[in-house]
Amino acid sequence: MNTKMNRLPVPTWNHLGVNFAPAAAALPQVPADGWGTANATAAVPAGIRTNGPASEIFDTFAESGMGMAADAFLAANANVKGHIAVGEGAAIETPAVLEVKLDEGHPYALSYLTIDAAKNSALTVVQVLRGDAENGVAASLVRINAAEGAHVKLVQVQLLGSNARRWGAVAIQQAEGSHVEQVRIELGGKVSACGTRTLQDHNKSEYDLDAVYFGRDNDVLDYNDVSVQIGRDTLCEMHTAGVLTGNADKILRGTVDFRRGAKRGVGHESEDVLLFSPTARNRTAPLILCGEEEVEGQHAASVGRLDESKLYYLRSRGLSESQARRLMVDARFAPAIEKIPLEELRTEVRETVARRLDDEQLDG
Amino acid sequence: MSSPLLEVKDLQVTVGEENKVLLDGLNLTVNPGETHVLMGHNGAGKSTLMSALMGDPRYTVTRGQILFRGQDITHETADVRARAGMFLSFQTPEEIPGITLESFLRTAQAAVTGKPVKVMKFRHELAAQMDALNMDPAYADRYLNVGFSGGEKKKAEILQLLMLKPALALLDETDSGLDVDAVKTVASGIKAYHNESNALIIITHNAKILEGLQVDYVHVLDDARIVRTGNGALVGEIIEEGFAALKEDEAE
Amino acid sequence: MRAFETEKTEVAEVDRSIYDIKDAANAAFEVNSGLTPEIVEKISEEKHDPEWMRLFRLKALETYNKMPVQNWGPSIEGLDMSNIVTYVRPNTEMRGKWSEVPDDIKNTFERLGIPQAERASLAGVGAQYDSEVVYHNVKAEVAAQGVVYTDMESALTGPYAEMVRKHFMKLVPPTDHKFAALHGAVWSGGSFVYVPAGVHVDIPLQSYFRLNARGAGQFEHTLIIVDKGAYLHFIEGCSAPKYNVANLHAGCVEIFVGEGARVRYSTIENWSKNMYNLNTKRAKVEKGGTIEWVSGSFGSHTSCLYPMSILQGEGARMEFTGITFAGAGQDLDTGAKVVHAAPHTTSHISTKSIARDGGISNFRSSVVVLPGAEGSKSSVSCESLMLDDRSRSDTIPEMDIRCDAVDVGHEAKIGRISEDAIFYLMSRGISEEDARALIVGGFAEPIAKELPLEYAVEMNNLIHLEMKGSIG
Repeated sequence: MNTKMNRLPVPTWNHLGVNFAPAAAALPQVPADGWGTANATAAVPAGIRTNGPASEIFDTFAESGMGMAADAFLAANANVKGHIAVGEGAAIETPAVLEVKLDEGHPYALSYLTIDAAKNSALTVVQVLRGDAENGVAASLVRINAAEGAHVKLVQVQLLGSNARRWGAVAIQQAEGSHVEQVRIELGGKVSACGTRTLQDHNKSEYDLDAVYFGRDNDVLDYNDVSVQIGRDTLCEMHTAGVLTGNADKILRGTVDFRRGAKRGVGHESEDVLLFSPTARNRTAPLILCGEEEVEGQHAASVGRLDESKLYYLRSRGLSESQARRLMVDARFAPAIEKIPLEELRTEVRETVARRLDDEQLDG
Repeated sequence: MSSPLLEVKDLQVTVGEENKVLLDGLNLTVNPGETHVLMGHNGAGKSTLMSALMGDPRYTVTRGQILFRGQDITHETADVRARAGMFLSFQTPEEIPGITLESFLRTAQAAVTGKPVKVMKFRHELAAQMDALNMDPAYADRYLNVGFSGGEKKKAEILQLLMLKPALALLDETDSGLDVDAVKTVASGIKAYHNESNALIIITHNAKILEGLQVDYVHVLDDARIVRTGNGALVGEIIEEGFAALKEDEAE
Repeated sequence: MRAFETEKTEVAEVDRSIYDIKDAANAAFEVNSGLTPEIVEKISEEKHDPEWMRLFRLKALETYNKMPVQNWGPSIEGLDMSNIVTYVRPNTEMRGKWSEVPDDIKNTFERLGIPQAERASLAGVGAQYDSEVVYHNVKAEVAAQGVVYTDMESALTGPYAEMVRKHFMKLVPPTDHKFAALHGAVWSGGSFVYVPAGVHVDIPLQSYFRLNARGAGQFEHTLIIVDKGAYLHFIEGCSAPKYNVANLHAGCVEIFVGEGARVRYSTIENWSKNMYNLNTKRAKVEKGGTIEWVSGSFGSHTSCLYPMSILQGEGARMEFTGITFAGAGQDLDTGAKVVHAAPHTTSHISTKSIARDGGISNFRSSVVVLPGAEGSKSSVSCESLMLDDRSRSDTIPEMDIRCDAVDVGHEAKIGRISEDAIFYLMSRGISEEDARALIVGGFAEPIAKELPLEYAVEMNNLIHLEMKGSIG
């Protein structure tokens, strides 16, 4: 599909190629015989409603970081649809776990999930994408409506193999005092294109993103995360850590957009990129847009190899080079991984990262 | 008998959108030559009083009056009060990048005196005062308070006091965070400043800074007002026995 | 006021010399308000271009006519692109009269203490005055060291003609962007500097002395070639507001920094607030060489200004220190670009942006590390200060890293003046207005420190002027 998605909210020099996602990350063609059925499972704890129609609010929802056209495509093509609702004041501790698995018989899983968290409710949703299929597609559109005082935690763990492609759009609308936490772990797929946009148009809302990616071979990674802060006393923390090996080509756009009136708004974003190959390409565009005086905005990015002196220090304590490397990557990935609420999944993610590090012929 | 330097009458001070009352019905009179000490547990309103006297915009005076040298300054801005002769030594002085301590002091001196500063005379005086405070002369060329240690910041406050020579000095925990030697240096600076025509109001938890000063009045703040006023001896009493004992006294 | 009476007579003379060909050209304009080969030919003929330059201009014109206007950055809708010729060849009626110079500019001259004769000249309504003498003296002084410092037109035909031809618009080709193409077609005026190997030029060369040359200050071309191990400090512009009735500035600066050479290029730009400043500056740095940019942007209606450094040789370095101050009606989009094209190259970008009174002050950057540039280091730090909630300040950096053995860092901060800091200064007797000006001046201090003293003082005055009336 030919649509300019993951648009940088304010464009810059065209030749840099960061104004929108490259053609290599374009949305998939609809197969001649359709998407077929997906291999999907769901484990939903008591207290969460999954039946019943999603509220009308989702019909005219704010766009995701990937943009309205991508959202429409994902919604229209979904072969897995889910709606999760939690009632006023209900705090559900057990996470809802939604899983899709690609295999040759089920190469396509396009899910559209709506999460409706009523006033002062709390819930956690874990999305797991695993498996592999030649040119497989694991795509998702998640729309989160966080009502007043609601606390929603969305944990997305992508463990696909290297033949599948992945698109992940997240759109969030935050009411007063709501808190949305997102964890995005993208470890596989030859394409990984994701974009979250949160609309903080009410006072005292908070959005946290902890993201991790691992690109290798000829992977194309393309991310676009945007927080639009309009209400007063809003807070946004967006932190990403990544590893690039092989010829991986990654673009991360991160935007904190303070609109006029966002008094006492705070927005922090950061990215820490480790390069393990001289042929990997990293592009980062961290924007702060500011139309309000009384705000505090900050971003920081650091790109490069592992610090030689730290590596040396660890090796002098008896660690092998790969152990040392793993330790340093673990340290960077820890803030996101630790937020995974399931012990088993946490371990699986850590091991996947370790295996992928070991797989690489790292030039160090 | 000269007229009072400062008269605070039935002062009520609030903060924030919810108008939380921090001071209520406070009265205080300070005459030239006097030294007043404010004591009270944390949150009693001591620092609020200092800030309100100096015109900190975060606080709102909702009732009462502040007269300085007979002029009503209740609603004047901080710069007007400073030019009238008031000075506050901040508990946590602000860091201002890009302005050197020396050029700042020259600007401030010109502002409070209303006269252009004579450069050579100013430099001599600055060097002498910094020397007296055991300050490295290099600090004159450093940006105002930027990267200064806690002790250096406090010394820089006293340096400003000595250079600006206000009629009323409000010292808000100028001794906190200082080592023994630095407290002595600061105390001698305060002593050098004080004379018959000016006055001091000091917040402290420590008697050391008062050494060499004749404390005329001690005011104990609690519950948004002055609950007790005594003479200098009260300082030692409170430091030894605490406010609780004092409260019991009151109850009796 | 008597002084201006005298100036006016001189204005008339200058006008005549500039518009000698105007009647012939006017007929063409009426037929076609776009920029035609005929107009460009005319310019070329008038300037006695060598043949290659005539062809170069025509080729650039083709590029210009083909290229779209950029689709990013500040709006340039206020420019009448379909009638671009009026910017290139203003009619006599458009020529300024002192009485038509806006009052705010006259007042600023007054407050900055610019000498009377100079004011008229800066406002574009006066003749060159005695700065020409100063210029000649400087020229003679550096010539003794073997330095060539001349105007571009004479450089084209003088003993350095070959050198000029070899370098002219090689760093900034007309295909770079639409206004670079326009520049290539209609450029006029500017300076040529050549510093031979090993020569350390002690006095800064200032293009300011030459800005009153006709056409200069609009499409001027500056070509600087500094040979191995040499040093040059070049200063462009001045902090006094420059007024020009034709409100498009599309100048071009090309700097070639030889092996181990060092060039510092300082600019304090204060165009009048009707100006579209679409200037292109670029430096190429050979092995072990250094380019240092110091850039202050205060004036103009709209600016797009991103000096670019190409670190071509191993160990080449660049430093960029910039400040941008946007007030009412201004949209200033500034920053820097760097390409690390060789190993062990270093870049350091440090900027400050200030926006007040509805102004827009944006920072834009790009840091590209090409494959093979191992051991390179880059750090970018930008700080923005918002002085009210009607203004805007966007930070739009980009990093493109294609080499792993690098150390690339980026930091940005945005915020406002701390109310506590204002109270602290006020408690020392300083008025609120002065306290704000002091804090903003302090914010700008790291840039002022990089400027020659008289420029730093002027910049400080400018900030105080800009801050006047910023309260209530």
